[in-house]
Amino acid sequence: MDGWGVLLTLSVALFFGSAVVAAARPKLGYATSAVASALLLAASVEALVGGPIQGAAWSGPLGDPESLALNGLSAFFALAASLVWVATAVYSVTYDERRSPWLAVCFSLTLGAIALLVASSSLLLFLIGWETMTIASYGMILQATGRRGRVFSAAFVFLVFGEASTLFVILAVAGLRVGTGTFAEVPYVAAGGLSTLVFVAALLGFALKMGVAPFHMSEWLPIAHSSAPSNASAVLSSTLTLAGAYGLFRVLSLLGAPPLWWGAVTLGIGAVSVLLGALFAAVSEHTKGLPAYSTIENNGLILVALGIALLARAEGLETLYVFALFAAFFQALAHAVAKTALFLAAGWAEHATGTFDLTSIAGGVKDGDRGALLGTLSATLSLSAAPPLAGFVAEWMVLESLFQSYQFVPAWVQFLGLVAGAAVALGAGLIVIAMVKFLGFGLLWNPSAARPARRSRGLSVPIAAVGAVVLGLGVGAPWVLRFLAPAVSSFAGVPAIAPVGSLLSVPNGWSILSGSPFGILSPPMVPITIGIGACVAAGYYLLGRRPGPSVRRSPVWMAGSPPGRPGEVYTSFGYGTGLRLMMATILGTREIRSSAGAVSEAGLATPVPYSVDLEVLDVFKLFYDDLVRGGEAVAAALKGWVMTGHLGRYLAYILIVVLAVVIYVAAAT
Amino acid sequence: MSGPAWTVTPAERYELSAEHALAYVPPDGAFALYNDYAQRRSVLVPTPSPVRPEDVVATWRDQLVGPPPRRLAPQETVEGYGTFTFPYGPVSMGVPESGRFDVITYGERILELGPLGGYKSRHVLNALAGATIEDAALRIERLAGNVSASHVAAFLAAAESARGESVPRSELWVRALAQELQRVYNHVHVLARIAEAASQNVGSAQSHALAEEILRLQGRAFGHRWLFGALLPGGPARHLDPPDRKALDRELQRCAREFDALWELFLDSRTFIDRIQSTCPVDRASAVHWGGVGPTLRACGVRWDDRLRVPGPPYNDLFLALPEERDGDALARLLVRVQEVRASFLLIEQMLDRWPPGPGSPEPASSPVLPGRGLGRVEAPSGDLVYDVSVANGKLASVSARTPSQANWPLFALGMRNAVFTDFHFALESFGLLFAETDR
Repeated sequence: MDGWGVLLTLSVALFFGSAVVAAARPKLGYATSAVASALLLAASVEALVGGPIQGAAWSGPLGDPESLALNGLSAFFALAASLVWVATAVYSVTYDERRSPWLAVCFSLTLGAIALLVASSSLLLFLIGWETMTIASYGMILQATGRRGRVFSAAFVFLVFGEASTLFVILAVAGLRVGTGTFAEVPYVAAGGLSTLVFVAALLGFALKMGVAPFHMSEWLPIAHSSAPSNASAVLSSTLTLAGAYGLFRVLSLLGAPPLWWGAVTLGIGAVSVLLGALFAAVSEHTKGLPAYSTIENNGLILVALGIALLARAEGLETLYVFALFAAFFQALAHAVAKTALFLAAGWAEHATGTFDLTSIAGGVKDGDRGALLGTLSATLSLSAAPPLAGFVAEWMVLESLFQSYQFVPAWVQFLGLVAGAAVALGAGLIVIAMVKFLGFGLLWNPSAARPARRSRGLSVPIAAVGAVVLGLGVGAPWVLRFLAPAVSSFAGVPAIAPVGSLLSVPNGWSILSGSPFGILSPPMVPITIGIGACVAAGYYLLGRRPGPSVRRSPVWMAGSPPGRPGEVYTSFGYGTGLRLMMATILGTREIRSSAGAVSEAGLATPVPYSVDLEVLDVFKLFYDDLVRGGEAVAAALKGWVMTGHLGRYLAYILIVVLAVVIYVAAAT
Repeated sequence: MSGPAWTVTPAERYELSAEHALAYVPPDGAFALYNDYAQRRSVLVPTPSPVRPEDVVATWRDQLVGPPPRRLAPQETVEGYGTFTFPYGPVSMGVPESGRFDVITYGERILELGPLGGYKSRHVLNALAGATIEDAALRIERLAGNVSASHVAAFLAAAESARGESVPRSELWVRALAQELQRVYNHVHVLARIAEAASQNVGSAQSHALAEEILRLQGRAFGHRWLFGALLPGGPARHLDPPDRKALDRELQRCAREFDALWELFLDSRTFIDRIQSTCPVDRASAVHWGGVGPTLRACGVRWDDRLRVPGPPYNDLFLALPEERDGDALARLLVRVQEVRASFLLIEQMLDRWPPGPGSPEPASSPVLPGRGLGRVEAPSGDLVYDVSVANGKLASVSARTPSQANWPLFALGMRNAVFTDFHFALESFGLLFAETDR
């Protein structure tokens, strides 16, 4: 254990220490978490640049060696998570003004648990981190404001999905333990039933945590329904789902060459998630429900890239395999960072307006901090894939991977790639609507009813910083990819070279190449080109300027009517209604009218006052509601003769189980 | 104003309640006009609470300083999450005149549509008191240029009725010819506008070209493209000699053939028909209830046409087809218009064939409804147009009118409920509504 190892061990310990500090002094707890995050960030950068780090090691309870360590793969996820945490923890120092320290305690615990599971070198420690993360996050959601019943039910939904996820993850880990005989990270390359079991269990377990379709209830519902605190939402949506992605990558890195259908299933789930996530985000009116849905879309993109990578590996397409992995990693990084800014901005808007409802906010943050606005602008543009930001590069890489699905030999895989490509492209279009809504109606737009925001540097500086990181990641994408190469090598088990090169007069290494003779993109050239154009325009403007006032302010032209009368402004809801009506079959859109006034004479189209509401349904939520009702019915039926409340009968159950285990063990040995 | 104890159709009740009281309730405040569809006649009924002179003054003063926008159709307030009012007009692309529409919507779908008038008020009719008939006719024909002939004809008929004058037979023929020509022009213009809204560029250009040809024919026959000054008291500006009539007949027959060919082309365009079919439907019961008129009414299966109500010269001598459709949508209204164009071509052909050789016997005007007060009623292109004129000492005492637009605005507004925003222009054009006719 060298100096970096000590740093890594210290940072993980400091997270748990900050939970203790937070119990007494919440703000100090957040500050300590920020320091721990910064230490983890430094350690993960070193692990990517200077090679794997070995932290504290000890002997585990089951005899396996346990240790904290960062290899390429875990260092990447630690990097993405700690970047987010630094900003979120600093933000929380100002944001969290509640008297109870529980939010701060659970916040630090969640961060520590994720750090632990990422840095764990054995799967047992991973499981411990995983479960701690679920419980601590449940604690954070419970700190939400709003009706208690609603908060409890949302937190309960989170816990149910979380525990279901844990069950599947335990199953996958158990499968690996059976296969390799140890919890340590030993590759299990044998093909067959056990591999399949591990893959299916891991995909289900980690997809549940990532909140992709059809498990997206686990992602958006606790965040939106309970109005969870914004810092908690940022951690949940950016890094908890990232932990899910990490787990999936980690288990896959231990399994051998994947059969074709693994990639196909992953790709299919990802494509459906992209489409549904984007669609629901576009019709969401909740400043946190909207980014939560967008998370589903982005996690779908990660799965799409991973699916293409698995297919390429099964087909033996080395170049595409590596490129798709780079796409998946870059997408994960770009999303985690940008999404953080959105949740922090939602909290900022809530501070100013007291609501999470986009239609009520209606652009109500007036004279807001310019830095925070620019940070949010950068993040929303990135999530709607506008060049040269990080989200654009990631989306381009995912689409480039999909374009190359023509290389797959079986026709059905080609067709799947085609359909998935269409879904991803459609999702990319739909998410723009969502982001315009978030930025336009949530922050930028200023009708007369706008309320001035409470300026607070503690809130706006982290948002601005995250926005700057998003811009930097996008412009510097070729260098970031080179930086990420150890992570990809670590996962792929082959030396991976970042897909960068040159084109025409663009300097070598400034461009991203997708496949040897395929697409090319140079993110740094975008701001350079825009900059040159802006310089020319600015020069023209400055040289041609005449003395006198050049700025004229006038009220907004409202087609000849007096501007901005209350009730005459476009609502966020109205902006999304076109989609609600077009996609009525998927969204289950229905209009509910109630007449408030007198009823007209029969049969005549005479107007009467009425109220109207346009409702959108989530078919999956209906499915889960039915499932819950069915489960309750079964439980009620079983209660009568299985769980009678007789102690003797319960003892008999235990006896039967013990006997069954004894017989099984005896038969096995 | 308390509610009248007898049936006044809501469109008129609506008009009565509007602040524009002069338009409908005459200064003596004793009577209001309504359509009796069962008896196929228009009736004057006493109003229960006459407008007091001070009210009239107040109305005048309000109008001189510029009246606030006033509702042209009933509209309800709607509540609901995300619902808002989208102000469309008075200066917006797609709104052809200065007028505004309050679109209550939650986005995309129109929940309630409220046309607002008053932006174009020129106080033409209010300023006519004390004017001579000739002066008044010159102003009235400029009220809405597209339908100048109908307005002047209705006004002159009312003035003649009020003064108990008789009119030379040939005068009535000239008025009818001008009105039928203008009907053809207006219907072709509506077709062109709908084609424009549907991006049927070729069809739209051809329809506009055809409408322009009709305008030029009007200019050649009457000395003015918009027929201004052509129907002034004392005879038309130009008498139609036999060679002129022959040339006009030849040109119009060519136009009729062109129109038929053009309409065939439109029928071939499935996208065009799809766009207007079931757009902005008006059901028969609502059309009767709200007092709709013209092609709007005939497209819902109500056969009502002022030319056939009490046929006078020259319609009592001519064959006149009365088209009818039943669906009540924009397509039905357009189909009615197309058939009316053909009917008008046929009418003009008959008129030019049987043109009276001289001034003919003087025809007595219809008897005044009150001493010094007469009604004039014609079928304008968009429907039944009524003028109510009082004269005193040879000068006008008051002029008011019930225009087809006024009667049809409520039906447009009701038909647009639950439509999507893209239907707006097809619907608006299919009614042939003019703000100029309601803001007088």
